[in-house]
Amino acid sequence: MGIGILGYGAYLPKYRIKAEENRKAWGNFSAPGVKEKSLPGYDEDVVTMAIEAAHNATNYAGIDPSSLGTLYLATTSGPYVEKPLSSTLAAALVGNREVRTADFMGSTKAGSSALLACFDRIVAEGKGVGLGVASDIPLGPIDSGTEHSFGAGSAAYVIGEGEPIAVLEGSHSITIETLGERFRKAGELYTRDLELRVNFMGECLHESIDGLLGKLNLTPEKVNHVVLQQPDASQSFKAVGKFGFSGEALAVGAIATHTGDTGVASCLLSLAHVLDHAQGSERIIVASYGSGSDAFSLLVQDGIIQRRKQSSDVPKVKDYLEKREYVDYVTYLKFKKYLSTFKS
Amino acid sequence: MGSYISLPSYLNTIEQRYRLGGKRCEKCGAIFFPPRLICSECGHKRMQKIKLSGKGTVLTYTVIAKGAGPTEFDDLQNMAGDYAVALVELEEGPRVVGQMTYCEPKDLKIGQKVRAVVRVLYEQEGVVRYSYKFTPIT
Repeated sequence: MGIGILGYGAYLPKYRIKAEENRKAWGNFSAPGVKEKSLPGYDEDVVTMAIEAAHNATNYAGIDPSSLGTLYLATTSGPYVEKPLSSTLAAALVGNREVRTADFMGSTKAGSSALLACFDRIVAEGKGVGLGVASDIPLGPIDSGTEHSFGAGSAAYVIGEGEPIAVLEGSHSITIETLGERFRKAGELYTRDLELRVNFMGECLHESIDGLLGKLNLTPEKVNHVVLQQPDASQSFKAVGKFGFSGEALAVGAIATHTGDTGVASCLLSLAHVLDHAQGSERIIVASYGSGSDAFSLLVQDGIIQRRKQSSDVPKVKDYLEKREYVDYVTYLKFKKYLSTFKS
Repeated sequence: MGSYISLPSYLNTIEQRYRLGGKRCEKCGAIFFPPRLICSECGHKRMQKIKLSGKGTVLTYTVIAKGAGPTEFDDLQNMAGDYAVALVELEEGPRVVGQMTYCEPKDLKIGQKVRAVVRVLYEQEGVVRYSYKFTPIT
């Protein structure tokens, strides 16, 4: 018995668009390493995707969702700016009012913030079960390179007291001020980026991981898997090059090649893919990014093998990556509602 | 023309729309979805809340083409094409009508096994209305 991750679940919508569709339409494609990206169906949004991932997570953990006492939802692309999204999630999952909810927004780092906040609450109370969910469909101006990498996905983690599949070994967070990088003003629909020649993310990922390794007195060889925020399939891996993590350590969590940038869900979705493959006693380091970085270390428990068997009917990240349907550029514009003139 | 459902009425149905909340008669065990206050089988007034699995079978369906549905669904039809609406028999027994999603109408067959998922049904007055839809089990 202990406090840790009791279960997790991922969700990717089934639609994909290939990078070459973008090249055909605009003559270029500015998301290095991304071959295709996920996009939602017309009737999906971050709330519906969060519900899918949450169901997968509670099924994996084998818990009744109505027992959840904490529900934290992270996104940068919710349908409302004011009016909680976590209340919809609570109504869909929990079905009673006795639950603490919060929405974490405004940064791609919000996913790890929600997860760590959920950990903090359960640890502080010493009991209970909570859910941290990250779900995102970032949306950029269609005539800018920003949108090229923007995908869609969600991931959810059940944190609680029980038989954890992974425990939190430690964390290290940093925050920096960023200007001109990935922002959306009040009232605006699309996320902008002024594409300044700065490397905020590289600095932050390096600093948070370096701090974490120092705090836990670890060397890079002691780390089995490294999971990074992936705005594309290249930048973040370059940023951690100096640590000398092995190719294998970085490989499993590298999924942006097939999903694009899933925003707040990025590193937690990648973590789900790593947990799908992880063995007992392995160490996983996760580092998010968004005007700072949360780096944290998880120790996988031996019980993961049995729990994985018991939850074999819960779809894994691989299942979602494989179950895909390609759409053309115009369908992509329609599904992401770039072409709807109708205003409700 | 639209088929306007007021927001207070809609709110009264979110238990069923978001999580397939139904009722079971405490006396005869009959299961109802949508939930009922009084058992229509035996007249008993004590009904227990239950959550249905959402799994079921398509008994029949129809395809909604342009102009055939309420205006709330016009943008869906414009952007995602014609959509099917199915009569589904849930594994617990109740029969329920729902939109199909992740499903090309031409691929749908009677007898198809489906499961319920929560999706955006439509938006009206700036309010997103979520509800269950059915998707083929693959």
